[in-house]
Parts: sequence; structure tokens; C-alpha cells
Amino acid sequence: MKKAPVVCAAFLVSVIAGVPATAKVFFRVTPYPLPPARKTGVEDVVVVWPSPDSSSIARLRSGGYRVWLQCESKDLTEAVAAADQALSTGVIVTNPANSNQSLEKQLSTLAVAHKNLAFRNLISGGKQPQMRGRLVVERDGILQVSSPSTQPWLDTNLAIVRLAQSTHPDSFPITYDFRWSTEEVPAGAWHPDADDYALAIAESDAIRSDVIIDLPPALQKALYAEDPQAWSLWKKAMAYLGFASRAPAETSHPVANLGVIVDEERDSYEAVNLMARHNLAFEAIRPRDLTRSHLNGWNAVVAFCALNHEAVAILQNFAAMGGIVVLVNSLENFPWHSAPPFRREPHSTTYTIGSGQIVELAEPVIDPEGFARDLRRVIGRERSVLGLWNSLTTIVTAYRDQDRREITLYLVNYADQPDNVQVQVKGRFRQVRYESPDEPCCVSLSSFERNGFTEFTIPSLRIVARVHLDSRGENSAAQ
Amino acid sequence: MRSVNPALACLISAVLPVASVLCSAQSSSFVHQKRYAMGTVFEIVIYDDDLHQADAAARASLDEVVRLDGVMSNYKPESELSRMNRSAHFQWVRISRELYQVIEQSLLYSRLSEGQFDISVGPVVDLWKAALAGGPMPTAAEQAAALRCVGYRQIELMPPDRIQFHSDCMRLDLGSIGKGYAVDRVAGLLKARGIRRAYIDAGGSTIYALGAPPGANAWPVGLRDPSGKLAPQTLLMNNSVSTSEQSAPSALQPDAPGHIVLPGTGKPLETRYAVSVTALYATESDALSTTLLLLGPVKGAALVKTFHNVSAIWIDSGGQGTIAGDSTAFHLAAEKQPNRIATVEISKADKGSPQ
Repeated sequence: MKKAPVVCAAFLVSVIAGVPATAKVFFRVTPYPLPPARKTGVEDVVVVWPSPDSSSIARLRSGGYRVWLQCESKDLTEAVAAADQALSTGVIVTNPANSNQSLEKQLSTLAVAHKNLAFRNLISGGKQPQMRGRLVVERDGILQVSSPSTQPWLDTNLAIVRLAQSTHPDSFPITYDFRWSTEEVPAGAWHPDADDYALAIAESDAIRSDVIIDLPPALQKALYAEDPQAWSLWKKAMAYLGFASRAPAETSHPVANLGVIVDEERDSYEAVNLMARHNLAFEAIRPRDLTRSHLNGWNAVVAFCALNHEAVAILQNFAAMGGIVVLVNSLENFPWHSAPPFRREPHSTTYTIGSGQIVELAEPVIDPEGFARDLRRVIGRERSVLGLWNSLTTIVTAYRDQDRREITLYLVNYADQPDNVQVQVKGRFRQVRYESPDEPCCVSLSSFERNGFTEFTIPSLRIVARVHLDSRGENSAAQ
Repeated sequence: MRSVNPALACLISAVLPVASVLCSAQSSSFVHQKRYAMGTVFEIVIYDDDLHQADAAARASLDEVVRLDGVMSNYKPESELSRMNRSAHFQWVRISRELYQVIEQSLLYSRLSEGQFDISVGPVVDLWKAALAGGPMPTAAEQAAALRCVGYRQIELMPPDRIQFHSDCMRLDLGSIGKGYAVDRVAGLLKARGIRRAYIDAGGSTIYALGAPPGANAWPVGLRDPSGKLAPQTLLMNNSVSTSEQSAPSALQPDAPGHIVLPGTGKPLETRYAVSVTALYATESDALSTTLLLLGPVKGAALVKTFHNVSAIWIDSGGQGTIAGDSTAFHLAAEKQPNRIATVEISKADKGSPQ
């Protein structure tokens, strides 16, 4: 049996993983003037501290904005004092390691001392949401390898947010940001364009995490100067801000059938990122948060870290009841080794336990793409709570309300190209309705039930849609 | 078929490294656009002095790919192919000229490969795809039932635009040729618009190069190497390359089937090779890459000989390569792994078929 490391070995506490009810979109601006908030539709703006112009905060506040200061952790004390003095709304502190207990402690102390200020943790590793191509075009050529046809690569922030939420469930609210790609910007075109903003806003809404989006100085100035092209772009983006603001605000929990146990984000990030990209409905938790109640909603578990005796016993019991357990980079002895394995391969050993199985991988995940696909295959369609067809560029997230009667799906299409998306959700639902920035709430969708799943098609999904599934009057909904 | 001497490969590589192919760019003005179509990302790079023209050409090209996807998709129920698949059993159906052309060319490759290339393999592929996606493995009865629907000889074309299936369960799938056809269409469209330097990429599996980038003689393209030891490369100029490879074995489920199925047996192909094929047209390289993967290097080399301007390289997971056709079509950067290359013996024709 593995010697449980400190982080894993502690006690098992019952923590109900949840995500914020809604996502807030912050725009990072320069000290240059900005049209008033009532015109831009933006509520919260971020100014990087130290600001070159001390009057800029007052100017933004008089424009109707809630102003936040963003600072490095080393500047936190000074930034908080400045924010307090300038009557800012709050402070967003960069947390480069995404794990800094002394910073958390410092934030707690400052929050007590500055009750008028709100605080946010800015995690690192965010990226511009987009569908990526394979070509790297440089000044002196193209870097490219001919290979079997591949699925589109999606840059999504779902994994870093879920991992940060799981490894710091008690921390200050998490915010992510990213830098706009500056590659291959067509001459004379606005960059980012309206669809880039729309996708970034939609993604934040779908993963229910606050995001900081850069407002490039050129656009800020053009908006202030009443440039009609700039306003044309901005009004398109505003439609997505408005759509996000109409998201259900009730507390809800992610729908998941796959548990991911992690204690060190960097060891598991790529694998979890590909799970997100392959629409595996996962929930990440720390090993010390693993409880039997968590397992009630899951039918598969992947552990990326060492486990203590209690966790091992819980997972063994989980497998005996029909669950699938995958232990990554596992070379230790476990109780089930007393029986011969069902199958032994060079890099994996599979044990059948009760009606379930435990797969031990002898090494870290080397091919995250293949691992995610394998995982989907091993879990199988019957055990999945969510499934998409004919849309390799859409990522779906799902949340169920407290009384487990309504599920809200968020579908985000990263390809910026309309697609008919076929969706399958476990459970029976009396009503399926959808809304999008182009279709005010709500349009009823025809659905049918097959083998315990409700199936329907989202017509022409361009960037984002929310789907509301209501099971009131039915006997079951997705776990 | 010729085998490649690793020492020669080294020499070729030393003589023609990328740096010597790509001189300093005289003009770095280019347009790069991408679009999701045919289940992958199509990308186009165009060098041109007139960037507005290049931008419009790239946009029109990608629009054309999306349109062709609407014709040839077997996932979209409203596509022309899907409609044909629903109605061409035992009756003549009129189809568009372009769909007719693709099917006509497909049947040519089917005849030349004696059925190894077969666009009617769809029902069997779908059976295994379901297993690949986590469904149960198909039973022998299910496999036999699906195999009964396969057979290019049961497809009949009547010029100029009619088709009929002599099977009640036949269903065509153009996945092994459609992207190549679309790439050729884009190349033609770009030429018609006066574009002389372009790179057209259908998700990496089929690439066509129009002309060469500024200051260079060709577009260097790396090739798939399952061993990671040979770093093979080809230089494209007014020709194409396509690559095929069976799905990688699964660590979690080692008996999971691959996605490429042998039309003759209806079973997933077991092979240790990846194959890349160069040809003058992308339709040809696309169709032949799947076919040559199925045939393996021995039978495949014989097929390559029947074509003009077609070359192929098979590389296995052990780092051994076999070339058929023009050996100068491929370069191996063997110096990357001198120790390994010193021991590599490029496979001979008598290595045997991988199947």
C-alpha cells in the first residue's frame, strides 16, 4: 500500500463541491477614458495596479463602473490600501502557483480589515478560447506534419477552472484571464473581433467562472471616440453579455458521472484538459474530500495521486458495486492484488472486483488525447450522463438545481460555424427548452426517450446555447 | 520498390535540410484561414502581394469546402450523399456531377486495388466505430450482416449522372477520398483566381502545395513517424501528400478495435505501419494512402508502380521505412538519432505484409 502523502492522508471530510451560480465578466481597461457603463453594458472593469494615472479609477467610477485593482501577490498590501482609498470595488490578486496558502492567509486577514472590498484569486494558465488549427506559420515557413486526420483542437479553460475550484474549494472566488492571440491578424481588421469576445463571454458563462477579458486600447479609444465600426463590433459582443447575465442564478452543481481525484494540478492538467475537450462529465476533488456520498453520483473514478487506506477501501467498494476505477502511475500493492488480475498488459493491469473493475496504469498519462478517448470508451455510452453527436467543436457543461428536478446545459461551439448538435442526457425530462443570444428564452425542442436517455437536437448552434431540461412529473433525472 | 539506405537518407537530409530549402523570405505577406469542415480543420495559407485578393480567395475556398461537406457528408442526414444512400437501392438516382465524379474515381481505385479501397465499407466501419466509442464488440452475426452490404461491384454508374446500388443495404462513405477531392477543388479554385503560392491542409491527413513559398523551392512537410526516430519529410510543390495510420492501441482497453477496416474480412486492420503517399492530385494521394496502408509495403509497392508520379513510404513503429516509387520524394533526417540510425535496417520487399 502506498504511504499516503500528507496532502492525501488527512481526514476524509464531506465537502459538497459546487461552482458559483453565475459568472462575472470583467474587462481589463487602460486609464484612457471609457464611455459610460450604461452604454457599454459592462459593469466591472479591472485596472492593473499600479495605475499610471491615479484619477483614472475615479473617472471610471463616475462612469458607472465597479472598478477592481489587479495586482501581483507581492504588491497586495499596497494595492489594497490604494483600492480602499480610491473606493474601488475590490482587488484581484494574481496567484501564479494557483496554490499559495500564505497568500490565502494574507487575503483572509486583509478581507477582515477591509470589509468594503471584495477579493478574487486570479489563477494562471488561462488561454484564449478558440478552435486551433495545426499549422504554425512563421516568417520563414510552415511547421506542419502530415498525419492521420485529427479532430479539431479546442483551447478551453474548463479544466484549469475545475482543477482550481477543486484544489482550493475554500479559497476566495476564482477568476481566470488570458491574452488575445496576436497571430495572423488581418490588416485593417478589428482584433479581437466580435465573435472572439462572444466566445470568451460564452465560455465563462458555461463554466461558471469569472473571467477577465482584455479590452484593447485601440478599441477602448474607438468606442470613446464614437467610431461606428467599433460600436458595431461592441453591440454584437454586448448581446452575449446580456445573454450571460440572464443565466439561472440559483445555486447548482455540475452534473458528473466521472470523478477525478487530484492533489497536484500540474500532474493531471493535460489529461483533465482532454477529458473536458472530449465532453466527459467530470468533477474534480482532492483526495481528502473523497467520500462515499460523492461516489453515489459517479460510475467511474480516475485517481492521479496516491491514496490513503480509507480512500483505497472506498474505491474498492465502489468497484465492487460496479464502478470503474483507473489509478494513474500506480505501482503500489493494493488489497485486490491477492487475486489474479483479469488482464495484464505491459503498461496496465486490470482487476475485476465484484461487478466493476480497477485498472492500474503503471505510468503517468503520456498521451492525454488517447487517454481521454479510452476513458470515454471504457465508461461506455450507457454509463455516460451526457453525450454529443456530430459536433466535434462543441463543449457541453451541465448543472442540476438543488431539488434535482431541472438541469441546465450550456453548449459552446468553438468553431464559430453553425452546427446541428445532437444531444443525449441521461434521464427522462418532461420539457426541453433552449435559448441563445438569437433565440430569447425559450424555444421548446422536440425530444424523445431511448434506453433511459433523453435525446434532442440543437438547431444551428453557432456560439452558445442554454438548454433547460425539466423532469418535474417524471421519475428520474441525470444523477 | 526500393529500400532506403539510412546512410543515403542521412546524406539526402544533409544535402537538403529545411534551411537550405527555405531561403530568407522575400515577402512574408500571407493570409492564413481555417474552417471546421468534414470532421476536421481545413487550413489555407496564401502568399500574395495583394492580401485582399488572398483573403477573398481563402474565404471562397473554405466556403467551397463547407459546401462540399454538405454534399458528401454521411453524418448530415440532409447531405446529397445521405439522400442517395437512402434511395439508390435497385433504382437509378440522379446525382450531382461532383458526387458522380468522386464515386467514379473511387471505383477506379477499387478496381486497381482489387477491392482494398472500397467506399461501400461504411456499414462495417460503423459497426466497429460503435465498439470504438464504448459500445459492445460486434457479434459474428452482426459482422456477417454488415459485410453482406459491402462490395464496390454492386455500385453501378450510368453516365453522366446516375447511380444505382444492387444491394438492399449498401451505404457509401466517402471518408477515405472526400477530403482529397475537396483539396483538389480548392487548388483549382485558387489557381483560377490567380493565386500561385498556397498551402492547403485538410486536418493534416491530406495536404496540397501550390507553387512554393517566397524565396523557397518547395514547402517542406514533416511526415508521420510512429517510431519517432526517422523524422521523415517531403518537399511539396504542385503536388500533395496524404497519410494514413490505424488508431493507436488503447492503454485502458488493449482489445479496442481500430477505425480502419479491411473490406474483405470486415475486421479492423492490424498493422504497425503509418503510410504517407505523394501524388499530383490530393484525391489520388488520399485514396491511395488508405489503400496502401491496407495492402502493406509488398503488395502496395506493386500498386504504386501502376501510377505515374506516385510515391509512398511505410514507416513502422520500430523505425524501419520502406519506399515505393521515387525514393527522392522522401527525406529522412536520420542524423537526429545517429545511434539508432546506425542500427536501422530499412525493410526490404521481402519483409512481408503486415496483415
